[in-house]
Amino acid sequence: MTTQLAKEATVSMTQDANKPKGNAPKPAKVNLRDFSMLIALVLISAVFAVMDPAFLSSRNLSQLAIELSATAVLSLGMLLIIVPGHIDLSVGSGLGLVGGLAAVLITGKGLSAPLALIVSALVSVCIYAGMGAIIVKEKIPSFIITLGGLLVFKGVHWLVINNSTIPVVTGGDQNVYSILTTYYLPPALGYVLAAVIVAALGFAAFNNVKKRKARKLEADSEGAFLSWFLSAQLLVLFVIVLNQYRGLPLSLIVLGATAFVIHVLSQHFRFGRYLYAIGGNEEAALVSGVPTDKVVVLAYAVMGVIVAVSGFLQTAFAGASTTTTGALMELDAIAACVIGGTSLKGGRGTVVGVLFGALIMCVLLNGMTLLALSPEMKFIARGVVLALAVWMDVRLSRSTARA
Amino acid sequence: MASPEGQKPVLEARGLVKRFGQVLALRGVDFDLRPAEVHALCGENGAGKSTLIKTLSGIWAHGTYEGEILMGGQVQRFAAIADSERAGMSVIHQELALVPEMSVAENIFLGHEPTRFGVVDHDRMLTETDQLLSRWGIDVSASACVADLGIGQRQLVEIAKALRKDSKVLILDEPSAALTDKEVAVLLTIVKELRSRGVSSVYISHRLEEVFELSDRITVLRDGQTVITLDTKNTDRAQVIAHMVGREIDNLFPRRRSEPGQCLLSVKGLNVAERGSEKIRLHDISLELHQGEVLGIGGLMGAGRSELLMHMFGIWGDRKTGTVELEKAPLATSPAACIEQGLVLVTEDRKRFGLVLEQTVGFNLSLSAIDEFSPRGYVDRDQEVKRNAEYVNSMRIKASSQETIAGTLSGGNQQKIVLGKALMTKPKVVLLDEPTRGIDVGAKYEIYELINELTSQGVAVLLVSSELPELIGMSDRILMLADGHIGGSFTGSEITQEALLAAAMRPSSGPRPEPA
Repeated sequence: MTTQLAKEATVSMTQDANKPKGNAPKPAKVNLRDFSMLIALVLISAVFAVMDPAFLSSRNLSQLAIELSATAVLSLGMLLIIVPGHIDLSVGSGLGLVGGLAAVLITGKGLSAPLALIVSALVSVCIYAGMGAIIVKEKIPSFIITLGGLLVFKGVHWLVINNSTIPVVTGGDQNVYSILTTYYLPPALGYVLAAVIVAALGFAAFNNVKKRKARKLEADSEGAFLSWFLSAQLLVLFVIVLNQYRGLPLSLIVLGATAFVIHVLSQHFRFGRYLYAIGGNEEAALVSGVPTDKVVVLAYAVMGVIVAVSGFLQTAFAGASTTTTGALMELDAIAACVIGGTSLKGGRGTVVGVLFGALIMCVLLNGMTLLALSPEMKFIARGVVLALAVWMDVRLSRSTARA
Repeated sequence: MASPEGQKPVLEARGLVKRFGQVLALRGVDFDLRPAEVHALCGENGAGKSTLIKTLSGIWAHGTYEGEILMGGQVQRFAAIADSERAGMSVIHQELALVPEMSVAENIFLGHEPTRFGVVDHDRMLTETDQLLSRWGIDVSASACVADLGIGQRQLVEIAKALRKDSKVLILDEPSAALTDKEVAVLLTIVKELRSRGVSSVYISHRLEEVFELSDRITVLRDGQTVITLDTKNTDRAQVIAHMVGREIDNLFPRRRSEPGQCLLSVKGLNVAERGSEKIRLHDISLELHQGEVLGIGGLMGAGRSELLMHMFGIWGDRKTGTVELEKAPLATSPAACIEQGLVLVTEDRKRFGLVLEQTVGFNLSLSAIDEFSPRGYVDRDQEVKRNAEYVNSMRIKASSQETIAGTLSGGNQQKIVLGKALMTKPKVVLLDEPTRGIDVGAKYEIYELINELTSQGVAVLLVSSELPELIGMSDRILMLADGHIGGSFTGSEITQEALLAAAMRPSSGPRPEPA
């Protein structure tokens, strides 16, 4: 099997990209919408790269990767909330609170770092599952409950850290908490990991095509190969660049693991099916026997884990919990989902899309910071990009629906 | 092509071809509508009726189809529905386009509100709406909120909305599907009166009685093509059906009775109020349902038939007294638990309760039975795809693949998905609420055969239907509901249309006979 894959690979690579393949006279189905996010990302990056070559430096890209982690992890959790047609405005303050709680438990109460992280994560899961339960049992719109959460959690966060700055570790030490954003994988290990992921992705893509054929479903082996080939190249290139600085940041690996889990959960588990069913037609889902309330509460519980993880990343990145940790991050997460093609009405959205959305938001912020733009300009630019992205998506989906 | 009267047709289609990707939805349709004519359009689901209507009315813009559309001899190039409306065409679609939160008057005047000093003139709107409704004999209050109306009344409001525009051509797509007999009578009167005033109508309906009562000519579509255009007075039902299906159907209701077995479902003394209210809607309902039996439930609209089924399934009403037992165990009160126990409901409103339209055929088919393929939460796709394929075949769902989006299929095929989804859970009791509403003769027949197959395997079926012939043809016993009470119970030779109707219209006060 693997030899066959390798053969397929060499055949495709040796062939001229412009020449149509002999065996499959299929018309190219290039859908502009599928690539619109990639195009937007490349365009934005190109502009920054031209304005400041340092944008593409391994140091800056490494920085970008760490910045991306917290936002992207949070956006992936938001996906699970938006797909069933809900929303969570509280996650920005929530992650500030959970990150702050962990910092206080370590530096204030003297708990060991791993224990502090576990305790705060559990607290987070309880808070979010509780919020989910209120939303479904009392039938209060999630917008309202989580807006309340936004304010309450912010207040509690400030109480917990007593309006001061609580470092994640005392003195110049290191602990599990602090290394989240300071540890880098040794280059050799980074290459091994990249190779494993590329092989795994290739196997998954190949296996998927094979299985689809066995199930007599339409299978696009060329498309699957191409997207694997492209992502493998990007991945390897990225690892090479990062290794020139300090290596793969640990936080990026946390993000990768989260993306994998959320993808499998949403696409291969019953839970994921139920999320899309609820978002697509809640009444039909209920009548079909979907335990809609339980599923939504579970989605919020998962969001609790996500809030904890991104809270730890974000707080560790700053080195300490402050009153502004996590501020406005809920909006970045929602924006990332929407840019990534997630429908706010529910029923539509993918992990890959959300990752692209988060990447666009973070590249934008990183690039503008690099160019030393004022905070005012940064807010305006991010808002404009969000509106533009959604407008473009609406336009393109309209034109594809008509065709 | 001029009509015998020497007049140009008011609306004409010549050689219409419409493609969706690789699929040919229309493959050459010729159609003409004469002045002051009611022209019925018949065909199975998926025959291309809805596509034809959408093409004629400009929903599919000029340039996306081949062939010509003419009005009064002039070639038309509609870019949008607004263009066809301007040319004097009004379409009443299967899917209603009313705003539920607004009043009847506001809906009728939506986008054309009369104003006084720049402010919407509510008084004028209400008076004009009242006049419009009473002129056409539509029994709905102009100030009523659309959300409070039944689906039949909404349909009449939709028609009134089209009437306000003084159209020359009215296209009615399945207008009677959701109407009660009384409402259908109002509708037919309206269309006839419009004809006498020179308005032409294209009338699409699966109910051939209406087609024969109303139409001057009948055009039959099959597989996206015009099969034949017939003069109504020179043809009969059998001929039309034969043209529609391309084969003869000799027995419309192929019920094969099987010997009823032990009692599966037992309902005793059920009194149910609407959720959050004290008003009892179902009074003293008792019934028994045995293995292999079809128990029909009839009644007029609003008699509480759907409510009874929905209550048993745990999605409607607060139970005040009474019990529901499945195999001597109390029946659960949530859909998920009911399905687990072996009882499923196929609802009447498939768009609202039936399908996740934006998802695939396979996603919908396996939604209820997915526990089976995901013992530890992880979905076994191999098993799922195999089971879906079995049901796509056995239910004869016409889709190019199980990955086709459910919302793109015709009504009959969507209904088969809803049924397939319910049956995949291997139920012991199936509650069917209007399972053949708005679907064509061929698909109806397939659903009847399916009911036979289920009962022969010992499944019990509770069948709610508004069509008396269907109820009589397919049920072993019949229970009539009248205003939330049991109006009568019938078996064997007691079952006649007259007896059933009399029981359905029994006054709602006074003592009621207990069911046998």
